Amino acid sequence: MNFDFSEEQNMLVQSLERSLAKSYDFEAFREQLASKITHVPETWNMLAELGVMAMPLPESAGGFDGNHVDIMAVCTELGRKLITEPYVSSVVLAAYIFEATGGAPADEHLPKIAMGEQKYAVGFYEPGDRHNTLASATTATQTADTWKLSGHKAVVLGADTADFLIISAGGDSVFLLPANAEGVSLNQYQLLDGRGAADVVLNGAEAVLLGTAGGSAAIIEEAADRAAAALTADTLGAFDEIIEMTKEYLRTRTQFGRPIGSFQVLSHRMVDLLVDVEQAKSIAMEAAVEARNKDVTIRMKAVSAAKAKIGAISRKFGQESVQMHGGIGVTDEYALGAYVKRLLVNEMLFGDADYHLTRYANL
Amino acid sequence: MDLSLTTEQSAFRDEVRTFLTDALPEDIKLISKTQGHMGEEHYRRWHSILAEKGWATPLWPIEHGGKGWGPANYAIFDEECHMAGAPRVLPFGVSMLAPVLIAVGSDAQKERFLPGIQSGKDWWSQGFSEPGAGSDLASLKSTAVRDGDHYIVNGQKTWTTLGQFGDWIFCLVRTDPKSEKPQTGISFILIDMKSPGVEVRPIIMMDGCHEVNEVWFTDVKVPAENLVGKENHGWSYAKMLLQHERIGIAGVGLSKEQLASLKRMAATEKKNGKPLIEDPVFKTKIAEIEIELRALDITNKRMLVETERGMDPGPVSSMLKIRGSEVAQKLFELKMDASGLYSLPFQPHIGEPGNNEEPVGTIHNTRSAPTYLNTRKISIYGGSNEIQRSIVSKMVLGF
Repeated sequence: MNFDFSEEQNMLVQSLERSLAKSYDFEAFREQLASKITHVPETWNMLAELGVMAMPLPESAGGFDGNHVDIMAVCTELGRKLITEPYVSSVVLAAYIFEATGGAPADEHLPKIAMGEQKYAVGFYEPGDRHNTLASATTATQTADTWKLSGHKAVVLGADTADFLIISAGGDSVFLLPANAEGVSLNQYQLLDGRGAADVVLNGAEAVLLGTAGGSAAIIEEAADRAAAALTADTLGAFDEIIEMTKEYLRTRTQFGRPIGSFQVLSHRMVDLLVDVEQAKSIAMEAAVEARNKDVTIRMKAVSAAKAKIGAISRKFGQESVQMHGGIGVTDEYALGAYVKRLLVNEMLFGDADYHLTRYANL
Repeated sequence: MDLSLTTEQSAFRDEVRTFLTDALPEDIKLISKTQGHMGEEHYRRWHSILAEKGWATPLWPIEHGGKGWGPANYAIFDEECHMAGAPRVLPFGVSMLAPVLIAVGSDAQKERFLPGIQSGKDWWSQGFSEPGAGSDLASLKSTAVRDGDHYIVNGQKTWTTLGQFGDWIFCLVRTDPKSEKPQTGISFILIDMKSPGVEVRPIIMMDGCHEVNEVWFTDVKVPAENLVGKENHGWSYAKMLLQHERIGIAGVGLSKEQLASLKRMAATEKKNGKPLIEDPVFKTKIAEIEIELRALDITNKRMLVETERGMDPGPVSSMLKIRGSEVAQKLFELKMDASGLYSLPFQPHIGEPGNNEEPVGTIHNTRSAPTYLNTRKISIYGGSNEIQRSIVSKMVLGF
C-alpha cells in the first residue's frame, strides 16, 4: 500500500506550484474576473510548456502515458490557485474521447491537445435533463457524406473559448465540429467562480462522427467520470486554501480580548473541517486510482462515492468557513468567497451529490 | 387550544390581502418575486404607499402615529406582504431607532425625527459594527469628543446596509475612553450623513452586489442635541433596540414565500423526464424543511404572544433568529440545488436598470446561487448565531 505521489509527480507539483505562484495573485484574479476573461493565453501556454497537457496522453500522440493520479496532482494545484483555464475540458474529457474513439481524428487532434495548440470543450448535458450524462434530445442526421447536429447543450465547460466542440447526440454517439462552424451558436458566459462556459445551440451544424454511431454511451459515461474525478481533486486544492485562511483568521482575529479560535465553539468546528478534509483526500485518491479501471462498476462506485462525499463536504466547508469568518467572509475582496464559489461549481458539474449518491445506491 | 385565526384575524388578513392586491406596484413585485435587488426608489416608493395607509409603522404606539398592533396581527401582515412580493420595510429607522427615541429620546428629538421615519422621507442607516468590533461590539473605538455645543466624531463603521442612500445614521460612539467597563463609556448619537467629514465607501459582496458600506468619520461636527438619552448610556439603548427586533426576526413570512417559490421551481424543473418535485430524494428534502417551518411558524407566534403576557423577552429573539436564519438559508440552498447546472452562470446585475442580459436558464436559476451566497449573511449579521447562542445560554442556563 502506498498513498504517496511518485517522485515524478512530486516534481511536477513543485514546478507547477512555482510557475503558478509567479503568475498568480488574488488582485490580478479579481481584475481578470471583472474584465470577464476566462482564458489567459500566457497561463495556458505555461501549462503546455510544463508538459501537464502532454502528461496524461499516450506516447504515440507525443504524451507521457500518464495516469489519473497525475491528473489529480495537476488539478489540485489548479484549484488551489483558482486557475480558470479549460484544462479539464481539453486534457481530461476531449483527450479521452479521442483516445477511446481512435482513427484519423485522434491522430490529428491528440498531438494538438498535448501541445496546447487547440482548445476543446465537450457537451453532454441538456436543458431540462439535469445531471443526466446520457441526455439524448440532441439529434444527428446522416446526409450523403456528413452528419448534421441539432439540439441544445447546457453549461458546456470551456465552450466559450474552445476551438473545437465534441457533442453527444442521442446519448450514444459523439461528434466533432469547429466551434465557429455554421449552425453553431454559442451563448458565452462566466460561471460563478470565473471559469468560462457556454450554452451551445446547434441548428443543422455539420460534424464528424467520432467512433461508431450509437456505440459511444460507455465512452460518454467514462469521460464524465474522469472529469468528475478531476474536479474532486480541484476541490482538494481549494479545501487546503480555505483551511489555511480560516485557521489564520481564527488565530489572528481577536474579540473579547482573545483570538476567536480559542473559543471552543469555533475550534471544534474547525477540527471537524480538518477531519472532513482527510476524508475528502482519501475518497478523492480512490477516485483517481479507479477512474480508469476497466471494471465499470468499480470505476463508477469510486467516482460516485468521491463526487457525493466531496460534494456534501464542499457545501459544509463553504458554509462553515464563511460563518467562522463572519462578515468579511461574505465580501468579494476577500479570497475566501472565490474559493467557496469554486467549490460550488465543482460540486454541480458532472453530476451533483444527489445524482452520484443515487447512482452509487443503484450500483 | 386553538391554533387557527380568530374571526377578527381572518378579516384582518383579508383586509391586508386586498390592500396588497391594489397597492403593490407590479414592477416592485417582479423584483422581489425574482430575488432581485431593490433600488433606493423602490424602497422609498413602497414605504410611502404603506405610510399613507398607516402601515409603515404599525407596531408604534398609537400616540406616536402607530397602530399599536400586537405580534399576532404583525405576523399576519408580514406573511401576507412576503407572499405578495412586497419589499421589506427597512428596519433601521422604523423598528430600531424609533423604539429607542420613543423610550428615551427628548421631546424635541421625537418631534423632529419620528415624522421623517414614519413617512420614509429620512433614510436611516445603522452605525454599530466596526472593523475591530463585530461580535465584541462593546470594543468599538469610534469617538465623540464634546467641544462646546458639539461633539467631534472620528472613526469608522462597517457593514452599513444600504448606507449609500442614507440621510442619517445612528451610531454607537465612545464618549468616555477611561470608563472601567467598555460598555459604560458608549453613547448613542444621531449623525446627519451630509455633514462634512462623512464618507461612505462601498463593500462589494461575493454575489457581486453593492449592499453594504464602510462609513468613515473625520472630525465630523455633530450638534450636542443629537445625543440620545444620557451620555455614556448608549450600550443599554442598543440592547433595548435589539430586543425590539424580535418581532419579525424569525423571518417566517420570508421563508413561507421561499418555500412556495421552491415548490414552483421544483414543479417546472425536470429530473428523469418528470417534475423534480416528484423525485423521492428531492421531495423528501422539501418535506423536511417544510415541517421545520411549520413548527417555526407556531413557535414564533406562541413566543411573541407569551412575551406580551410577560414571559422574559430576553432569549426569545435570539432563539427565533437562530432557527429562523437556519430555515431561510436551507430554503435558499434547496433553490440552488433545484436549479442544477443553471445555477452556475454568473449574471449578478441581471434585471438592474440598463442591464439587458437574458438569463441563461430561468431568472430563478440564475439568481439562485448568488442569493444562496448572499444570504449566508443572515446567520452573521445582527449578532451572529454563535453570539445568539451565548445570549440564550447566559440567560436561560446561567452559564
